[in-house]
Amino acid sequence: MKAWRILWLALSFLVAILFVWGWQMLADYRIVSPVFLPGPDRAWRSLTLGFTTGDLGMKFLSTVERMFWGWLIASLLGIVLGAAIGTSPRLRTYLAPTLEFLRPLPASATIPVAIAMLGLSDGMVLSVIAFGALWPVLLATIHGFAAVEPRLYEVGRALRLSRPAVIFKIALPSASPDILAGMRLGLTVALILSVVCEMIAGRDGLGNWILLSARSFRAPDLYAGVILLGVLGYGTSVILAAVEGRLLSWRKRAR
Amino acid sequence: MAAAANMTAIENDRPPTVISFDTISLSYGNRVIISDLSLDVGRGEIVCIIGPSGCGKTTALRMAGGLVRPSAGSVRLRGAPLTAPRQDVAIVFQDYGKALLPWRTASANVSLAMEAAGVPRDQRQARIPPLLAKVGLAGHGDKYPSEMSGGMQQRIQIARCLAQDPAVLLMDEPFGALDAMTRQGLQDEMLSLVAETGTTVFFVTHDLEEAVYLGDRVVGLLPNPGRVGIDLKVSLPRPRNQLESREMPEFLRLRRELFDFIEKAER
Repeated sequence: MKAWRILWLALSFLVAILFVWGWQMLADYRIVSPVFLPGPDRAWRSLTLGFTTGDLGMKFLSTVERMFWGWLIASLLGIVLGAAIGTSPRLRTYLAPTLEFLRPLPASATIPVAIAMLGLSDGMVLSVIAFGALWPVLLATIHGFAAVEPRLYEVGRALRLSRPAVIFKIALPSASPDILAGMRLGLTVALILSVVCEMIAGRDGLGNWILLSARSFRAPDLYAGVILLGVLGYGTSVILAAVEGRLLSWRKRAR
Repeated sequence: MAAAANMTAIENDRPPTVISFDTISLSYGNRVIISDLSLDVGRGEIVCIIGPSGCGKTTALRMAGGLVRPSAGSVRLRGAPLTAPRQDVAIVFQDYGKALLPWRTASANVSLAMEAAGVPRDQRQARIPPLLAKVGLAGHGDKYPSEMSGGMQQRIQIARCLAQDPAVLLMDEPFGALDAMTRQGLQDEMLSLVAETGTTVFFVTHDLEEAVYLGDRVVGLLPNPGRVGIDLKVSLPRPRNQLESREMPEFLRLRRELFDFIEKAER
């Protein structure tokens, strides 16, 4: 069992290495012009240079911050609203068509509306991110709360649990797998929207860095930004998966 | 009121009434589920309820638990109307897989009943191990329900009910989903637990032999609408024994009578 897992891990790293090597070959043999595609060596140099001498670190942090706060607002709002809607069959029926209409709207389409209403401010960026990341959390939470085993509510009644106790001891833990899955999706949306907002609204961050690098043909800088975004997405997803694994350890023990 | 209850108790040589269904009826819209059902359960009695499906046995149990209110008539607990679930009336549900919190260990599931009652944490921690030991789960407190067999899961639920210190135990086909050996083991464990504490038991089952084996009385309900059709006293000696009690002529006679009753009721 253990040996297999190590083997798979080794293989997945090998694939990643092959990918980087292929990229290097593509650049070295000038199959694609170096103006558009610098090798990983040049991208890496630009990355370290950006961190040591430039302000790439600052830009990275401001994107992280933007993404995090937007995601946090979306998650809290999504869980509270989702709990209210999910526990009330009537609210669910009333709101379902509206939610289904709003849900598939690409969140980036709301940016012009947000700009018109809030200007090119950080508040605008934050509301766009929060709005976009809200949907996956909200819908997953609604589903999670709606799917709580009715028998458990009955157990709560029979034991005379108070209403807050029913919510925090029965409904919320029962819905937590769905909520966490929604929050994971929301995080991806938050990252995408952070970058798009920075590009459109010109806020300082990785999105803006990538856009400006592209416009001034600084290809290595552009790729440095893209690599950072990849690392950010991967890192946050790993952290969230770890949190999930810890909170939902009872599910793993089932198998 | 109390005096009158005592008088009848003396006259019928019956213990004082704990739960009483007083001509209750229940209907949803035009559908009449239960009609004029009257039934008294005495203190310390084990009353088993049988009947064909749709006779309202589970509904009657849910009424005794305060989960459902009758449309007419009243359910009373020691004379006082029962309108909501109570701390001293515990319900063991049939579907233990759904009635336990899968994210809580066995100990934490038992703890839930005491959390609801506002028992402080240190007292909870002290009371859980003896409760688990009582139902034969000593040393399994840190396991999750999903790591346990069906019989063990039902034992957790029984321990959770015992944590309520119930005067009345309502059991809704609690052993119906278990295999025969586990079921017999749990039947005997339940009988000795109840004998120890003098708890009143209202036991719904579809298994006629189980009803005779466990009960002081077996009450058969008739369907459409639900009402009492038969009320038999079981005079088998206690403690009961899975082999001997089941071979006694009285056991066989009662089983036959109930079997005939069900057959007639279903016709």
